[in-house]
Amino acid sequence: MPLLEVENLTKSFGGLTAVNNVSFHVDEGDVIGLIGPNGAGKTTLFQLISGFLKSDSGTVRFKGEDITRLAPHKIVNKGIARTFQVVRPFRHLPAIANVLVACASPRASKKLEWLKSPERKALDMLELVGLSEMMLEPAENLAHGDLKRLEMARALATEPDLLLLDEPFSGLNPIETDFLIKSIQRLHLDGYTMVIVEHKLRALMKLVRKVIVLHYGEKIAEGSPKEISQNKKVIEVYMGRVG
Amino acid sequence: MVRYFFRRIYSSFVTNVFDVPSKLLALLLFMLLLVIPATRPSSYVLLILIIAYIYALFAASWDLLVGRAGQVSLGHALFFGIAAYTSAILSKFYGLPIWATIPLGMLLCALVALLLGFPSLRVKGPYLTLVTLAFPLILHTALFAFDPPVGGEYGIALPPRFFPRKFLLGTEFLAEYYLILFVMFISAIILYKIANSKTGIVLVSILDDESASKACGINVTKYKLLVFVLSALFAGLAGGLYAHSFGAIGSVSPGSVLGLTTSFYPIIMTIFGGIGTIYGPIVGAFSLWTLMEFFQFADELRVLIYISIIIIFILKWPKGVAKFVVEKLDELTEKRELEEREKKK
Repeated sequence: MPLLEVENLTKSFGGLTAVNNVSFHVDEGDVIGLIGPNGAGKTTLFQLISGFLKSDSGTVRFKGEDITRLAPHKIVNKGIARTFQVVRPFRHLPAIANVLVACASPRASKKLEWLKSPERKALDMLELVGLSEMMLEPAENLAHGDLKRLEMARALATEPDLLLLDEPFSGLNPIETDFLIKSIQRLHLDGYTMVIVEHKLRALMKLVRKVIVLHYGEKIAEGSPKEISQNKKVIEVYMGRVG
Repeated sequence: MVRYFFRRIYSSFVTNVFDVPSKLLALLLFMLLLVIPATRPSSYVLLILIIAYIYALFAASWDLLVGRAGQVSLGHALFFGIAAYTSAILSKFYGLPIWATIPLGMLLCALVALLLGFPSLRVKGPYLTLVTLAFPLILHTALFAFDPPVGGEYGIALPPRFFPRKFLLGTEFLAEYYLILFVMFISAIILYKIANSKTGIVLVSILDDESASKACGINVTKYKLLVFVLSALFAGLAGGLYAHSFGAIGSVSPGSVLGLTTSFYPIIMTIFGGIGTIYGPIVGAFSLWTLMEFFQFADELRVLIYISIIIIFILKWPKGVAKFVVEKLDELTEKRELEEREKKK
């Protein structure tokens, strides 16, 4: 049984169909890339899976359970964590407290190791993303790259079985990008399942085994990075019609 | 065993209070309030201070709701009024003792907060503010319609009676002063602990970014309701104390406990002292209330002077007076620690 099954998911805003009849599935341990030109509906698809938007039709099943109509916090507590495209830190809280909020969720509290304090766990998460030196710094003082990592730490603190990363590389410089690629590879080795929305194809193709291409809300291709890079339809969408 | 226990309490007290200048300052100020009666002030001065403490508690409860969780309420008087009326009615018509009427008033407040919270916390920002503004005004007007049981506009006449008179010959003011001071101090510590607990952190996260809190798996509605109820409980405690204190000057009326001014006092006091701090509103309530009385001699001009002072202070220290002082103190300690560390090197 796949970890996540998305079936015929559709969402329209007024006359615009942002996500049109999209189906795919994610197996446990997979790292899947979700690409497509601007406005292809990638973020909307994430919003639908994570419950921030309600779909018009279609179902989302997680571990065989229908989660289509659940509230966002309930979906997180089922084991799907997400990051945001534009960083959304808690600006008034220090970095460690940002992660502590996620540690206060029911799922994280239940999964907390015996005799381990939530504070210790929050610090471990910051260490995992390489932010432990900044733990007491208010989030509003952190640089953009650090905030991206903080958001990862926060998502990881909810003990997810599936991570949805919405453009994790946007706004990062090459050094930060390399660091994040390594972090994600390590998470993959640790057995995390991930779906990554990304524009930076070069970074993405290093990470994923399967790519899904969206265009105007519809899935136009699915396959390994190599297959996708040779797919005529995809090249057309990205480069424009040749000849 | 007992000695070991005391030693531990003492050492934790030293590290947690004496070594933190801002907490030491708070402790010193509290001791100062303890010894004020030793200067044999008139009962009028004690009365002013009693009301100041009640408002301090009331403002602190508002701060937990607004400064921490960001749910801006302009109608906090609702809970003050409900608790004041509940304890006044129970005490006057049913003859219940004070230790029963005040908790019952608080309980009713919590219940009302729960019932009103469900629909009203669904709206956000300015809409929530307007909704909360309406509630006390509705109750205020509704009370006018019930003249016989609750006395309409004039309210319920209620003799202040925290202590049976026969035991305290002429020292009722003093006894009440200490009672309310202690209740205020302990409630303030509880509120401060809540604000700085894990729950408090989650509340700030909701204030900062609700969607991100949801993405952290936090049931935002549950936490909002929780803080609404907690805040109502403490506002109710303040209201109940007010109903039975000398501050009510013998009657609980819609104007004195449900009016717009009652809703606005905690706001001014909190912003003056420092929002989101819990100690800020207490400092604010104490200084503003005594200031207002101090300018009694200026008659009609007193409100003008009072408002000018508030405006000057807020312009000079927009973060709040108490917050400014505490931040300065913390900075100094940090600097001192850095210097000590460098010396060791």
